[in-house]
Amino acid sequence: MSLTNFSHGENAQAATLNGSSASGIQIEIFSQLDPLQINLMHSWHIRLSESGGVISGASITMNGGMPEHDHGLPTQAQVTEELEPGLYLMEGIRFHMPGLWELQFSIEHGGRVELATIEFKL
Amino acid sequence: MKNAYSSVAVRSVAIVVIAAILLLAAWRFYSPPLADDWNEEQLSLIRSLSLSQLPELPADPSNAVADNEAAANFGHRFFFDTRFSSNNAVACATCHVPELMFADGLELAAGVSVGPRHTPSLVGLSYSPWFYWDGRKDSQWSQALAPLEAGVEHDSDRVEISRLIASDENYVQLYEAVFGPFPDLDSLRLPQSASPLGNQSRQQAWSAMSPNSQKIITRIFSNIGKALAAYQRKIVPGPARFDEYVEQLENSSATRQADLLSDSEIAGLNLFIDQAQCISCHNGPLLTNHDFHNTGVLAISGQLPPMGRYDGIRTARNDPLNCLGEFSDASPSQCMELRFARDENDLVGAQKTPTLRNVSLSAPYMHGGQLQTLDDVMVHYNEAPTSMLNHNEAKPLGLRSNQLRQLRDFVLTLTAPLATEDKWLKPPTDETSN
Ligand code: HEC
Ligand code: HEC
Repeated sequence: MSLTNFSHGENAQAATLNGSSASGIQIEIFSQLDPLQINLMHSWHIRLSESGGVISGASITMNGGMPEHDHGLPTQAQVTEELEPGLYLMEGIRFHMPGLWELQFSIEHGGRVELATIEFKL
Repeated sequence: MKNAYSSVAVRSVAIVVIAAILLLAAWRFYSPPLADDWNEEQLSLIRSLSLSQLPELPADPSNAVADNEAAANFGHRFFFDTRFSSNNAVACATCHVPELMFADGLELAAGVSVGPRHTPSLVGLSYSPWFYWDGRKDSQWSQALAPLEAGVEHDSDRVEISRLIASDENYVQLYEAVFGPFPDLDSLRLPQSASPLGNQSRQQAWSAMSPNSQKIITRIFSNIGKALAAYQRKIVPGPARFDEYVEQLENSSATRQADLLSDSEIAGLNLFIDQAQCISCHNGPLLTNHDFHNTGVLAISGQLPPMGRYDGIRTARNDPLNCLGEFSDASPSQCMELRFARDENDLVGAQKTPTLRNVSLSAPYMHGGQLQTLDDVMVHYNEAPTSMLNHNEAKPLGLRSNQLRQLRDFVLTLTAPLATEDKWLKPPTDETSN
């Protein structure tokens, strides 16, 4: 398992997770840790796009938890950089329990706020 | 007549009572039959607990000598040395006794005097990103410095300790093998004893020192912490009966594998990963997520309920000896834990989840040693009492006493000799430390 290299170019790994907002913003998550595992701190690259192309200059926040346990996330992950147009670096991600997780993304872009939920099992 | 009547009554009452006792016993001892096979989901959870899944020790970028053998030798000698205490009787090993999995068997730790917390086991601890029950330290080297200057533990200070090292040729050699030349303390005209922490006279003596002397002394002190951390990274668990059982599961999914685990232990494992939800927090090969949870453990008698991680993260952020401080070897961007830690209200009363590896050897349990035995722990989880501060994350389990014994029996299968070389488990002889 490598915690230092992860790629998401043309012929690189498929997205680890993906989802979309009600109005059709696509969220693709490329995890440094793929497959995802519990108890390891890691980073994500998040690509935002919609039919018109990539979404640049958005501000993304992530909350979440385990619906079956009323537990939140153990860390406060943050987007720290937009690496290239539409591709964001999120750092400080860790999951601390096996089971069903639900992540809520709030994407602020061009004066509107879009919400998206992604569910996955660890 | 009268006698016959009452003897019939006595007999029928007796029969009813006996029947009730039998029913109760049957209910308490009944356990659902074991399934013949584990399903895929169960197998994957069980494998995730196996020691074979344990990764390499994580790097500690804040400690450049974390994996340096000479540093471990230095730390080893220091760990067992009682001279670094105000009464010449307290070493790290006084409270962290190797045979007791580096705990001490007491409810509350006893150094120079009795302290406010129970001594935790140090097994596999170097995998944890946070230290202390409340996580107020973000590295093992920085943690090691606190007991040395705590009044109830070693009751010493960084100047006394630096002076003692300087006066002991053996330590100076060990130090120089790792950190380069030992500073010339005579030229600094130091007080006998001084520290920015601790009692008033120590603090006054510290503020009278020049910033340069303060820096030289704190550098020596933090290097000692780094050597103590290098030593403690050797304390790792060895494979237990449970791990052998998981190895067998690679070949077949049958719940019964030869006689590796008894039916009771297997039933306990099943409860652990499913109905009792222990695996929510006690997960991974060390059976801990090293995270902070409120489990409604009663406050230590005579103390207010503790604020736990809520205060711990705030203390860690303000600690000059944290990952972002000048004595850390990490670049700020490497201090991921500190940068992305949460600090919300739900952390009030949350304590760090301990490992369950070898836990049968480190009674009593919990942050104040409040629970004497593993049976008491199982009863605690079964009841899930309301927390005095904030809310208990664990929910009442409604298990029968027989099932609580099964859970305990499973936990007992996690005990095994450490995978640590023998020489680290006792005070160094001169051959091993040189
Ligand atoms: C007087 C007994 C005592 C002495 C001496 C002592 N400790 Fe401890 N140790 C404790 C107690 C009690 C705790 C838990 C305190 C807390 O969490 O508030 C602890 C916590 C720790 C932890 C963190 C454990 C965890 O689960 O996060 C480490 C590591 C540790 N001690 C190492 C050392 C080292 C190294 C020394 C010597 C420099 C030392 N201790 C000296 C009693 C002691
Ligand atoms: C919500 C998280 C959580 C769950 C669920 C949980 N634990 Fe714990 N466990 C902890 C924490 C946190 C502590 C330390 C609490 C304290 O000191 O106040 C602990 C302590 C323990 C201890 C004492 C360890 C020691 O060294 O003192 C044992 C044994 C234990 N748990 C077993 C279990 C078992 C068995 C289950 C399932 C019935 C379980 N735990 C469920 C978080 C949890």
